[in-house]
Amino acid sequence: MATTVIMPKLGLTMKEGTIEKWLKQEGDRVEKGEPLVEIITEKLNFQYESPASGILRKILHPAGKVVAVTTPIAIIAEEGEALPEFEASKPDVPKEAPMPAAAVQSERKEHRERIFASPVARKTAQEKGIDLSLLKGSGPEGRITQADVLKAAEKVQTEGVKPSVPAQKPEDKIIPLKGIRKIIAQRMTDSFQNTPHFYLSVEVDMSAIQDVKERVKDEVEKRAKVKLTLTDILVKVVASALKEHPIINSRFEGDQIRLLEEINVGVAIALADGLIVPVVHRADQKSLTEIASAIRTITKKARRGKLSLEDVGGGTFTLSNMGMLGIDKINPIINPPECSILGVGRTIEKPVVRGGEIKIKPMAWFTLSSDHRIVDGAAAGLFLSHIQKIIETPAFLLV
Amino acid sequence: MPEITFVESLRMTLKEEMERDPSLMLIGEDIGRYGGIFGVTKGLLEEFGPHRVRSTPISESAIIGSALGAAMTGIRTVAELMYIDFTPVAMDQIVNQTAKMSYMSGGKAKVPMVIRTQEGGGRGNAAQHSQCLEALFLHIPGLKIVMPSNPYDARGLLKTAIRDDNPVMFIEHKLLYATKGSIPDGEYLIPFGQADIKRKGKDVTIVAISYMVTVALKAAARLAEEGIEAEVIDLRTLVPLDFDAILQSVRNTNRVVIVHEGCRTGGIGAEIAAQIQEEAFDYLDAPVARVGALNVPIPYSEPLENAVIPDEDDIVRAAKKVLYRG
Repeated sequence: MATTVIMPKLGLTMKEGTIEKWLKQEGDRVEKGEPLVEIITEKLNFQYESPASGILRKILHPAGKVVAVTTPIAIIAEEGEALPEFEASKPDVPKEAPMPAAAVQSERKEHRERIFASPVARKTAQEKGIDLSLLKGSGPEGRITQADVLKAAEKVQTEGVKPSVPAQKPEDKIIPLKGIRKIIAQRMTDSFQNTPHFYLSVEVDMSAIQDVKERVKDEVEKRAKVKLTLTDILVKVVASALKEHPIINSRFEGDQIRLLEEINVGVAIALADGLIVPVVHRADQKSLTEIASAIRTITKKARRGKLSLEDVGGGTFTLSNMGMLGIDKINPIINPPECSILGVGRTIEKPVVRGGEIKIKPMAWFTLSSDHRIVDGAAAGLFLSHIQKIIETPAFLLV
Repeated sequence: MPEITFVESLRMTLKEEMERDPSLMLIGEDIGRYGGIFGVTKGLLEEFGPHRVRSTPISESAIIGSALGAAMTGIRTVAELMYIDFTPVAMDQIVNQTAKMSYMSGGKAKVPMVIRTQEGGGRGNAAQHSQCLEALFLHIPGLKIVMPSNPYDARGLLKTAIRDDNPVMFIEHKLLYATKGSIPDGEYLIPFGQADIKRKGKDVTIVAISYMVTVALKAAARLAEEGIEAEVIDLRTLVPLDFDAILQSVRNTNRVVIVHEGCRTGGIGAEIAAQIQEEAFDYLDAPVARVGALNVPIPYSEPLENAVIPDEDDIVRAAKKVLYRG
């Protein structure tokens, strides 16, 4: 019997997915459970396994297409079996869904990857050792003409730089933009271009919080079998502060601002090929042990490529701690649709003045990036000093 | 070197060739006493008699069929069809018989025959008397196609056509008949397949045929005022085609505009553009441009006819486009 493969719904919030790559071609035999297609959602890369055994008779949507969940994407059947009819290649996405626009944009981007140059411009560039990708075309739609190449060649000559012969040029390594990298590129560009960021920084005395960590770490380790980190504690601190400052836990929705009921704190974690942001859901209601164990579980899943959308979705605020890399201070880019992100630098002993005396204290820079459409300087300042207050006097966590 | 008109040049050539070859015969409607509707055969009946200058009833099929039969039996013949618009009436004779006889007889039958006809708009002759149909014959292997653009070429090419042992479509343009040019005293022949570079230039190649050569030269003069040096090539014959001349020019200019009066769709420009991209792709700095008539029957109304047929402005615009200017 023919089996129709549909775009899977990988999480509650997933509305559509991008077909990144077909792992089987039309006509290939596929066994149930064998990886069939690579799908990317807003948050992750996913290898979808074949729901049936048979021959991949028809691919309805090629790689690169954005398709709404439950849309048929392929048909698996035996040789000669009659196939159900589906319209191919037209994703049935509701008009008001925001993603089609993004899809169009990414298609256009791919279109632009080809360098438009006239044939003789290409030939001349090769002869003169000019890299076409460095030129801006003066022709229609940016087509590089022979004049553009000759101008570039002349410039190279007058500036005394020997034109590099292609054969002698060292080969650059190319990393195709796909999967998580591509999503990061798109989302960060979008955020940095479309969200008016502003940054507030404060240097925080870490002695008290370090003291707390020392006191409770064994207990946490005993209960959850995980090692407590400063990041875990910071999640707790941030969640507590967010509760007092709901405007920081909100999102921009065009003509309105939504104050979110849930406090879900994401933690940026570096991976070999990018980064993920595990989300501690309802962090304000979780104990330190629960927070530490949640983060560790998701990270482990990420390293094995087994993330679910819930693990990385639904964040309302992000924490990026770069202390372990020895960085003093970071100004992070907001992770949309969130409105703020906190960047934490390393803790280092410094001379500070206290009551007219120079003392040595472990200090760390905290930087808050906020979306100025929602958050004003004063609100962000109050939130950041609240965090400082808790860290320097952890007893405020109890208040 | 006296200046004579295109019509006089043709008449003089026919007369000379009839004197040279006593078997040469002319056949067509009204070519005897009336002298042909454009006067090309005026006086030839009186000089050579009704056996060699034969007026026929109004039957294009009969004209071509008779001419073909005569040619195959050794009587060199020049048939005249008043308008190229009437060639479709005789299409079976031209396409299935004339073009194929040599081949189907394994070369035993020669077809020393010229079909003289004229085409083109610009005279308010409307849809059935203004067409440019050379591309129809371009698609038929076995026919040579000659399209002179001036009195000098008309003479040299007509002589070559008459002396050729294969069927030749000799396509004139009605707006050229009154144009004048100087002709040298002695005899000369222009071989087929040799384009004429009418104007040298390094910026853009304009390939033109027939009356459009005149228009292209005017356009080139205008372009020169703006500092654009256009090279104008008169193909003179479409079959055989002097593609080397085009190739050589394109390699220098990297840009081509092909100009013909027939409609763009399926015109000679399409064929030449295709060959250019096959043979000179790496030399192109811009897509090959074609200037031709709009894809509609030629309107009777003068303003509409002018709008449909390509003119100087169209050529200037196309040249600038391939030069990425304006």
